Amino acid sequence: MRILLAEDDPLLGDGLRAGLRQHGFLVDWVRDGEAAERELRAQPYGAAVLDLGLPLKDGMEVLAAVRRAGITLPVLVLTARDGVPDRVKGLDLGADDYVLKPVDLNELAARLRALVRRSHGQPQERLQAQDVVLDPAARSVLRAGEPVLLSAREFDLLHTLMLNAGRVLTREQLEQHLYSWGQEVESNAVEVHVHHLRRKLGSALIQTVRGVGYMLLREAPRGAA
Amino acid sequence: MMHAPRSLQARLLLLLLGLMAGVWLAAAALTWLDARHELDELLDGHLAQAAALLVVKQTGDIDDDAPGVDAPTLHRYAPKVAFQVFHEGRLSLRSANAPLRPMIEGAMSPSGFQTVQLDGQAWRVFAAQGAERDVRVFVGEQLASRAAILWAVLRSTLWPLLLALPLLALAAWWAVRRGTAPLRSIGRQLSARAPQALQPIDMSGLPDEMLPMIAALNDLFERISALMEAERRFTADAAHELRTPIAAIRAQAQVAMAETNDAARAHALQATLAGCDRATRLVEQMLTLARLEGGAAPALQPVALAELARSVVAELAPQALARQQQIEFDADGASASQVDGDATLLAVLVRNLVDNAIRYSPPQARLRVSVAASGRQLVLRVEDSGPGLSEPDALRLGERFFRVLGTEQSGSGLGWSIARRIAAVHGATLRVGRSTGLGGLAVEAAFQLRR
Repeated sequence: MRILLAEDDPLLGDGLRAGLRQHGFLVDWVRDGEAAERELRAQPYGAAVLDLGLPLKDGMEVLAAVRRAGITLPVLVLTARDGVPDRVKGLDLGADDYVLKPVDLNELAARLRALVRRSHGQPQERLQAQDVVLDPAARSVLRAGEPVLLSAREFDLLHTLMLNAGRVLTREQLEQHLYSWGQEVESNAVEVHVHHLRRKLGSALIQTVRGVGYMLLREAPRGAA
Repeated sequence: MMHAPRSLQARLLLLLLGLMAGVWLAAAALTWLDARHELDELLDGHLAQAAALLVVKQTGDIDDDAPGVDAPTLHRYAPKVAFQVFHEGRLSLRSANAPLRPMIEGAMSPSGFQTVQLDGQAWRVFAAQGAERDVRVFVGEQLASRAAILWAVLRSTLWPLLLALPLLALAAWWAVRRGTAPLRSIGRQLSARAPQALQPIDMSGLPDEMLPMIAALNDLFERISALMEAERRFTADAAHELRTPIAAIRAQAQVAMAETNDAARAHALQATLAGCDRATRLVEQMLTLARLEGGAAPALQPVALAELARSVVAELAPQALARQQQIEFDADGASASQVDGDATLLAVLVRNLVDNAIRYSPPQARLRVSVAASGRQLVLRVEDSGPGLSEPDALRLGERFFRVLGTEQSGSGLGWSIARRIAAVHGATLRVGRSTGLGGLAVEAAFQLRR
């Protein structure tokens, strides 16, 4: 899961990035409001962690601008401002969650996962499609009750596909979800990962839409074994 | 020694009643004197007239054959009045209560008043001298009777006054109480206030005498309220500012705990320590500021500013060098110059200014700290070749927790507030401008040179 972290404090930003990475997130870190807005407009992040006291452009303004632009990604506001009016304003402007500093990393990760899940209309923590169950918190995958070992990228790809089950995702979209900044995207990496996933989880799970991209099927197609 | 009562009402009442009693006593004394004077005049007139009548009668109708005949006692007052008529040295006529010897012995004075003692009583006696046949007449009156009349007169005038006095006292008490009612009402209003209530007292309808006091009180309320508001804001701001370093420490510590990679864990632990240092510095800065704003004036002593600045620059130079910045110090001709100040606070001031210059100038920047005498002033100047400050940012410097946006450095924004406060307690002001030599920011603090 690729998320944007907007935090101007170097120590806190560094800590949050490292901590969220430990929880399996791909983290892009920006340090001012303008960069945050630019990135949110340009990239399909799964979620954003937004500090309010950002230089150049206040977090509230960034949030308002992003929502005006019709970007619906879940935004978790992380702030030192604990006044009830601040919280109300933040939520009214379109924040999905409002967390006060200091925050426990495990809690932050759990809240982010919940936000992402709900933004995809998934009420359950675990995602299920056919005989495959994916647990984002444990970063584990079961097939017919048996654990399946996936690489980090394979897991992220499966996670993205499961969240968007029933929808076609283009290769570019998938690549953007799989790589944070500075990571070299190998050519046909997505194809390679899909190939591995099919090998480990069965070929009926992920369908190729030729010339467009891939789609994960929640229910096994009729007639398929 | 009696103390004046502490209650304003009792004091007023006592004063009023005392004055009333005084006026009453003075009136009584005046009445007494006046009445006695009039009475004396009147009765003396009667005595003289009676004597004159007797003289005239005796001159025209002398009965030498009936010497010493007593005149009848006609009136109940008569015993208090006596007369004697002497003809050629012999007593020819006298009242029953008159002695046989002349009331005024051997008096050569022809006529006039005299007060004499007869049978242990004081008598007012008028002596008259007939022009012919050597007639001498004495008419006397007991003084006690005059006193009795006087008392009667006084009684009739003073009794009503005496009776009126308690009534007056009651009226005065009521009036004083009514007059001081606004005081009590303000007192009640104030004592009923909640400790946090600092809104001004309504001054409408208050007596003029109380306006200055209430105005001063309202002024005090306003100042306390502003002070408390500033305090409250500072506490809130400070708490918020502390949240970020604490959040950083927590995040880094959690990362270190979960990290399996040694290098990454070491990095997180380093960052945890750095976060602790930052929180510590923030707390120290807040304490310094709180102490400075507590208003306690520092003890001023001669301080060699140049020496002090030199040692601070020496202390901070490694930081600048770590950022590949060039830092230089210049105190030509001002090395021995002294200012009156607190060495510890001045060191904090210089450290804050130099630290700011290092932090907010880019790597490879040039920094210059100088101390120079200028007229009667000693000017500390910190310049850099950094980007300087925009006009609005320069104006906002010194606001607590204000930070210039877009800087990579994690400052609290308190350094400026502290520097400004320290300058202020030393009678100096901080001036922010553009450095002519280096092109970046120039900050100046001009101190009064010690003579």
